[in-house]
Amino acid sequence: MTCKEAIAKLAEYLDGELTSVVQKQLEAHLKTCPPCRAYLATYRKTKELAAKVNRVDMPEDLKARLRALLIDRIRARPAGG
Amino acid sequence: MQGDEGDLSLLGRLRAGDANALEALMGQYSARVYRLAYGITRSAGDAEEVVQDVFLTVCRKSESFEGRAALGSWIYRITTNAALNKRRGKRQEVETALEEQLPSFKADGHREGDRAYVLADWSQNPERDLLSGETREVLQGAIDRLPEHYRAVLVLRDVEELSNEEVAEVTGESVPSVKSRLHRARMALREQLTRHLGPRA
Repeated sequence: MTCKEAIAKLAEYLDGELTSVVQKQLEAHLKTCPPCRAYLATYRKTKELAAKVNRVDMPEDLKARLRALLIDRIRARPAGG
Repeated sequence: MQGDEGDLSLLGRLRAGDANALEALMGQYSARVYRLAYGITRSAGDAEEVVQDVFLTVCRKSESFEGRAALGSWIYRITTNAALNKRRGKRQEVETALEEQLPSFKADGHREGDRAYVLADWSQNPERDLLSGETREVLQGAIDRLPEHYRAVLVLRDVEELSNEEVAEVTGESVPSVKSRLHRARMALREQLTRHLGPRA
């Protein structure tokens, strides 16, 4: 397996979606290839960091405005209308 | 993500003007809708408008929800479409070609670039450093520059933790397309972080 082939499979590797044959080939490649090991480590970390910075909280005042807007809306409109 | 009886009865109560049903719906979904809307639009103002549009749409179209998919899936789909619509016309502002941010390879399949760069491994740096200051800005900037459909897939998979199949259902793409976009998005972000943290780390 080349580095190009190994890197193409990393998402499926992290998801546990590779067949056992391909997974073994990838792991054998990683064992002998420090750049691909570094790539996998930083790829995995990137996934975690991106998830963390994207985990934003909804502002409380927006929640209150949304509630007020929707309460009016659902009460103004009878069922089926 | 099959719908269940609970979803249908919640929407039925919502149609009947039940404020508790609205509370339950908001409690279950508003934070997720906001996160996805913000993740795609990358703007608090746009995300707020999307959240309002989404819940108004859910209230208005609750009759058309048939329970074939889960309510969560349906709401994610409405949110994704609304957020992508909001982005329309703004995309040239910051987005750059993804190809420039993907790893390049020599003819023999090895990585291109100098040895120190391809060996750079900053994954053990303290997380408080990785998530603060300049590094956080680099990451935020890299997320901003992703094409919006890639960002939608990234948020649905890595933040909302949907499966590839669920993301495909929400975005209307094929599963291979979802997988490809996710992988390319993560690689592009990794590249930007490595250029910033790289061999110096």
